[in-house]
Amino acid sequence: MLPPESTRLLDAQARIRERFRLFGFREVLTPALEYSEVIEENGLRDASYKLFDQDNQMLLLRPEMTTPIARVVAQRLAGNPGPRKLSYVLPAYRRASVGRGQSAELYQAGVEVVGSASPMEDAATIALLVDVLMSLGLEAPSDFAVVLGQSAFYSSYLRHVVPGAATPVTAALAAKDLVAVDALANGLPAEAAAGVRGIPRLVGPADDGAILEEAERFVVGEEARAGLENLKEILRHLEAHGALGAVILDLGLTGRHEYYTGAVYEAYASGLGFTIANGGRYDNLLRRFGKEMPATGFAIYLERLLSVLPGRGSRPLLVLVGGDVGGVEAAADLRENGVPVLHLSEDLQPRAAAEYARSIDAPWISYPAKGGVKLATADPPGEFAIMDARSVAKAVLA
Amino acid sequence: MSGLRVAVPKGAIFDDALSALEGAGLPADVVRENGRRLVYSAAGTEFIVSRPSDVPVFVEYGAADVGIVGKDVLEEHAFNVVELSDLGTGRCRMILAAPKERAEDVRLAIGHAEVVRVATKFPDTARRYFERMGRQAEVIELHGSIELAPLVGLAECIVDLTATGTTLRENHLVVLDEISTSTARFICNRGAYRLRHREISALADAMQGSGEPVG
Repeated sequence: MLPPESTRLLDAQARIRERFRLFGFREVLTPALEYSEVIEENGLRDASYKLFDQDNQMLLLRPEMTTPIARVVAQRLAGNPGPRKLSYVLPAYRRASVGRGQSAELYQAGVEVVGSASPMEDAATIALLVDVLMSLGLEAPSDFAVVLGQSAFYSSYLRHVVPGAATPVTAALAAKDLVAVDALANGLPAEAAAGVRGIPRLVGPADDGAILEEAERFVVGEEARAGLENLKEILRHLEAHGALGAVILDLGLTGRHEYYTGAVYEAYASGLGFTIANGGRYDNLLRRFGKEMPATGFAIYLERLLSVLPGRGSRPLLVLVGGDVGGVEAAADLRENGVPVLHLSEDLQPRAAAEYARSIDAPWISYPAKGGVKLATADPPGEFAIMDARSVAKAVLA
Repeated sequence: MSGLRVAVPKGAIFDDALSALEGAGLPADVVRENGRRLVYSAAGTEFIVSRPSDVPVFVEYGAADVGIVGKDVLEEHAFNVVELSDLGTGRCRMILAAPKERAEDVRLAIGHAEVVRVATKFPDTARRYFERMGRQAEVIELHGSIELAPLVGLAECIVDLTATGTTLRENHLVVLDEISTSTARFICNRGAYRLRHREISALADAMQGSGEPVG
């Protein structure tokens, strides 16, 4: 990845890190290679690059970050008081998109809260996601929304009311095939069919209450009650976070990974057909590594996010041309005043210098001169004016 | 009104798709006016017309919010779109067929688990069909005139769509097996499904029969 694309990615990463830190998350690094057994979800295993070490152990290039962090916490941090609030800004690797010309390396940024079952932590991570997206210049709900569901609600309804049909209905819903869900419902008693058909269609803004009222009708058994109460508790806290307006409820949302156990969410940007972030609660994942620790978190897909971010403006940069020792001194003087300077040691003519500046998105060119530098715009090539370092700083950083 | 972008497929289900959209109160008749254009807009709704197999691609990427496409296209390739409703129109069958005079030979060959050559526009559907029977087939992908393949010895049988069976009869082909039936489906981008749920589900309901205009 080259400038200016790489610059945009790094700027977004820097901003995201800043927000993560402000909420007290501490950043971890994990290895790109994981033992194959670490990832159990079939979809993720299929999408992974696989290789073997010298003892013929199968390794994977990590296809996502949640499981590696769960492993690290279970193995290295389990003795510490919980919860552990960790963040990451790292690439994951997936082969699913190969052949469509898409990159096999996906930049991700996310957080995981491990060791707390409180819905307050679900709300806090969703609010952090909303905060990050807004701090990058997106507005809710016009530019993006976080779609929130409760994977336990529908599955417990099915297990309670139509145990025999639970598996095919869940599979049809995972394939987003509501026609198949309806077809399965048609073979069921009317009362059960109403919920099988109705729950996945409960979609709407979180702040108008209508969806939850509708959902009340389908509460059967303690588990579904607990699922709905959990969702209400999350919404109550999202309101306190001031993030409720960015949230859409979808009780048919089940989450893309099998390890999700409760609240699940996906962020969508208007005009982009794909999720820009997804997350949820995964209370059983750490059991795989010998620890009983509930957890919740999200991952942002940075390349997709970048494609919907506003603003591609150039950044202040001045190309200073030649001047031998005098040029070096002028460059130091400018940097002293906070001006980013790229000093070319070769003497280029103004036309060539302007062309060079345009090729690296630098808005300014300059030459050393008595009492400062001769400064001109690069695109379109402007008239040179002699200025001291402080005036240059004012012009360039404005 | 809606501000939605709707993908409409050319070909067999084109007219049914437009009628369904009109029945739901969308100004889809603009699409009939001029056959050469690619994008039509009326009363805030945009319509795009594309090959049937491209409709779910536009919808998956969010280039169109909703679309109409045959189930056969959705079954051939796992598109990441929400399948909202069955419009019931454009009914056709996915079939396995062979030339009349060699039909019995092909049936026996498949019965004996011989590897037969199949020509089709739906390679994944054909492969899955043979795999489900525990049989192996050499699948040859073609893009048009599938019926030609067994006539000139390119393949022993074909997997293809048929509505009336006329083309099969004209080419002396007989149906050996019915693989599935297909009808037109109303599909939706998974982001638009959530972000614009009210208008899209109202449109889906209106198309499914009540005929009431979408507000």
